[in-house]
Amino acid sequence: MIVLQLVVNGVLLGGTYILLAQGLNLVFGVMGIVNLAHGSIITFVGVFTYWFVTQTNLSPLLLMPIVFVLALGLGGALQRLLLEPLAKLGNRRELLSLMVTFGLSYVIVETAINCFGSQYVSLPNLQATWTVAGLAINEALVVAGVLGAVISGCLHVWLHYTASGKALLATSQNSTGAVTCGIDVRRMRGISFAIGSALAAIAGVLLILILPLSAPTADTLTILAFVIVALGGLGDYKGAVLAGLLLGLVQSGVGYYLGGDVEVVVPYLLLIAFMVLRPQGLGQAAR
Amino acid sequence: MSAPATSPDAADALRVEGLVAGFGEITILHDVSLAVPAGKVTVLLGANGAGKTTLLRAITGLVTPRSGRVALFGEEIAGREPHLIARAGIGHVPSGRELFPRMPVSAHLDLGGRLCPPGERAALRERVLALFPAIAERLHQAAGTLSGGEQQMVAIARALMTNPRLLLLDEPSAGLAPKVVLSVFEALGKLQHQGMSVLLAEQSMTFGLSVASRAYIIREGRIVLSGTPAELMAERSVVQAYLGA
Amino acid sequence: MNLDARQVGQWIERRLAAPAAAASVSGPRPLTIGILAALIACAGGAPLVSSAYILQLATDLLTFAALAYSWNVISGCTGYLSFGQVSFFGIGAYATSILVMHTAVPWYVDAVIGAVIGGVSAALLGTIMLRLRGIMFALGMLGLARILMVVASNWNFIGGAAGLTLPAQLTPIAVYVAMWVAALVAFGLNYFLLRSQWGLSVIGVRDEEVAAAAVGVPTSWVKTVAFILSALAPAAVGGLVAWNRSFLDPPSAFDPTLDLQVIVFALFGGIGTVWGPALGTLILVIVGEQFWAYLPELQLALYGVLVIAVVLAFPGGIVGVANRFGWLRRRPVAAPAVFPRVSRPSQPAPPGDDTVIEVRDLTVRFGGLVALNGVSLAVRRGEMVSIIGANGAGKTTLFNAVTGFVKPSEGGVYFQGKLVSDIPSHRRAHQGIARTFQIPRLMESLTVWENTLLAARHGKRRHAAVEQAAWALHMVKLDSLWLEPPGRLSPGQQRRLEMARALALDPTVILLDEVMAGMTRDEQDEIRAVLRHFRDLGVAAVAGVEHIISAIADISDRMIVLDRGRKIAEGKPEAVLRDPAVIESYLGKVS
Repeated sequence: MIVLQLVVNGVLLGGTYILLAQGLNLVFGVMGIVNLAHGSIITFVGVFTYWFVTQTNLSPLLLMPIVFVLALGLGGALQRLLLEPLAKLGNRRELLSLMVTFGLSYVIVETAINCFGSQYVSLPNLQATWTVAGLAINEALVVAGVLGAVISGCLHVWLHYTASGKALLATSQNSTGAVTCGIDVRRMRGISFAIGSALAAIAGVLLILILPLSAPTADTLTILAFVIVALGGLGDYKGAVLAGLLLGLVQSGVGYYLGGDVEVVVPYLLLIAFMVLRPQGLGQAAR
Repeated sequence: MSAPATSPDAADALRVEGLVAGFGEITILHDVSLAVPAGKVTVLLGANGAGKTTLLRAITGLVTPRSGRVALFGEEIAGREPHLIARAGIGHVPSGRELFPRMPVSAHLDLGGRLCPPGERAALRERVLALFPAIAERLHQAAGTLSGGEQQMVAIARALMTNPRLLLLDEPSAGLAPKVVLSVFEALGKLQHQGMSVLLAEQSMTFGLSVASRAYIIREGRIVLSGTPAELMAERSVVQAYLGA
Repeated sequence: MNLDARQVGQWIERRLAAPAAAASVSGPRPLTIGILAALIACAGGAPLVSSAYILQLATDLLTFAALAYSWNVISGCTGYLSFGQVSFFGIGAYATSILVMHTAVPWYVDAVIGAVIGGVSAALLGTIMLRLRGIMFALGMLGLARILMVVASNWNFIGGAAGLTLPAQLTPIAVYVAMWVAALVAFGLNYFLLRSQWGLSVIGVRDEEVAAAAVGVPTSWVKTVAFILSALAPAAVGGLVAWNRSFLDPPSAFDPTLDLQVIVFALFGGIGTVWGPALGTLILVIVGEQFWAYLPELQLALYGVLVIAVVLAFPGGIVGVANRFGWLRRRPVAAPAVFPRVSRPSQPAPPGDDTVIEVRDLTVRFGGLVALNGVSLAVRRGEMVSIIGANGAGKTTLFNAVTGFVKPSEGGVYFQGKLVSDIPSHRRAHQGIARTFQIPRLMESLTVWENTLLAARHGKRRHAAVEQAAWALHMVKLDSLWLEPPGRLSPGQQRRLEMARALALDPTVILLDEVMAGMTRDEQDEIRAVLRHFRDLGVAAVAGVEHIISAIADISDRMIVLDRGRKIAEGKPEAVLRDPAVIESYLGKVS
């Protein structure tokens, strides 16, 4: 029974992780860079949502389409301005992009601190716990898990069944081949970063309902997202789903048997273990 | 055997004049000129490092030429972005094939087909699959799991789906067993019968000349010889220049 | 694996992206000493200043300089960008704090012990972290800092989340002097890596880790040493900062904004340079002091903007900008004022086994692809063997297996009769196996001279490395270009440099991977002249993979033909080139 509870918790927690990571995964898949500002976008939108809700008493879900569109535009613009100039630099591009997004993350975090303060905030909308078949199920986790699944599903459909999505997927797997099909690879990079930012923004609106966020600890989210992406095989979004679930399950189990302190370190330990033992991650894509 | 010169035929699918290209401070192509007559297969022969791939990439825009002109059916395309050159009607089958390893064969055809007018897509797809029956059976298989020969066919099929006016193939026989190469070249022969203009870069002289109506030999970034296959085969010096280049 | 345009393009891009080693022999040597002396005098004299504010400012400057220089050691000099050097700051802080609280050892000894503990941690952590590369290493270090913070929060012995309160021990002057020592040490380590012959190994690892191994650099060892050196000063500084505040807790010990500041200072000043971190720290701390009074909340955001601006607009930092005006340029290491005169009598190779290189039943598989299939061949003393074959024949894989860059799936590689299949590449280079690369892998930020010297230092004549390097360059006629960066050489000249590097190892056998490609006729003739006389250069045998057969047919004693992973012909060149099987392999079956 305990085991079942742990599994359920783990799966739902995994859903949360997947929600966190898909934006980062998309960017890495198409552009080959790790966006260190990912967590800062999530956190900024999250604390902004808190402020918005407490000021206006409107539903946070109203914000979702708005931040999605805004993040799309801003993300596209930032990619054009800051990252596209680096695209022609060959293999130094990865580290230099890391530096640029590193700097960007601080700009966003500090802006958030100046606007909204640096304390932990969260919205109490989803704190109920249901009891189903003898299992305790946390409402927030369910929402996150379900939304994580829905978003991944939408991504899957978009990437595999629509023309624009297939173009993006093709670019992520072989940009030269994509060019021969008339795909504007530069635009693809812009689109992927825009969508990645938009996904992060949505994650921000949802996460503030689930856990407390604070601007100064934004990079914790970046690292968690990166752990999923790395475990899943860097760009392989199906692998990311697996990785999210794995992490959720492991953390749930470790938390129960070994205590909350060890539980917190699990993501980082798993990351280092995987990077050393199986760098290509859980997905089939070996980069 | 003629000195390298461009044919004055106005119906040239491709005319390259004085093309100079390279990377950074290095120049790889030195004043290259050639012409691909419409509806015919032209082969570009040369050893490793002679500049075949660079020339093809300079034509398709993956490498930006420093000077010179490239005209596709009279339309000037030098200096354009590579995806726009693809849209202008050049189908490029790059060396190394550059497939999408985790996408199925059908997706490759769909992606190429983006450049084909929607009304003609279905008919084109049928024609392309008729040309390569081996891959017609594997439409849902991921490209990364196919054999070398099948991958080459998918690469050509993808390029054909872009409904090109000119097809560029970069060493389609590389790394393939002779029997497989034969089937690829059979398909090329059929294409030629259908009137497709083709520029083929090859290391293997015998295969290259078997389908060509005109051949150029490139060495150290320069066109050194050109002529018909018969003319070139008759000259032993060609073999030497080729092996030793 | 043909020299296709994409590989060439990537090679060129690497060249273009590397900072130009704008070297001048008559460099600012006196100026350097002058600056250093002035700084030392200023620094030493500061305690005499009565203003507490200036003392604090100077202490901060020195603290950040120590950290920036240490970051530069691993990220700038070695090329392993780290986002988590604060890990060592924290480790040192806790280690020395525990020592201070529980032992009676004087504080300055505690600081040194803290530094040592930092170094030991780096050695241990390095066994895991240094297996990662590029962004993985960067993020792995970031994760490491996080892990350590969590560990510290939960370890009650060291205070857990509440932290430690430390006895106030240090006067401001004591802290100042200690930071001064730390900064000097950090600067010294940095200077050592960038200006010493040993340091060339580090830069070699940064620029071309694979080629560095091929010329004998023990890359794992070098990286570990650099990592350890980068941990010493932060660990010591961590302890001092903790005592200065009389308080230590996990967030302040592993404060990520510290990493940000250090990175900004080093980057702004000029990553990977001798003076960059000092300049960056000086300018930004002093400017910052004035600035933050008015805009305290924007500090980190502006630092973020600065990082972006530097990367996009002037990645070489202040020093990079100064270089364009001819200032602060890097001097080549161990370069005499003029190119040394070379006079060496010809000498035969030292005696040894008749079979220099042998492979027996060598099979190499990459996943499902069989690159080499049961190949057996030998290169004998005194002969030059050419290995030819069409694309995909396995020629480069053969070389990679012989030189240790690829592990055989079956079969063995023998050098002078001994099995070397399990010996790492750099040791094979020490023993006398030298190679060139199909696409030249030259250290772009080092001059021609230093590239060659690096190899000479790891070869059989390492005790006379300077003479050996000069001789090697002389043999390939690159004397006049000895102080140029490889980026300015023509392709032919670059290949000759690769040959010089191989010769500098004083090798027993040289393996040439398509050395003739991209060379003009004259350049090919020059190489041929060298190869004709290899026996007088102390080299026992030469093996070359080639496509340009006309360039090597007449100087080869024997020719071996590979086709799709198998040996299909072997013998004298004239006979082999007429063999129908060989012709068929190249030209394709005549149907």
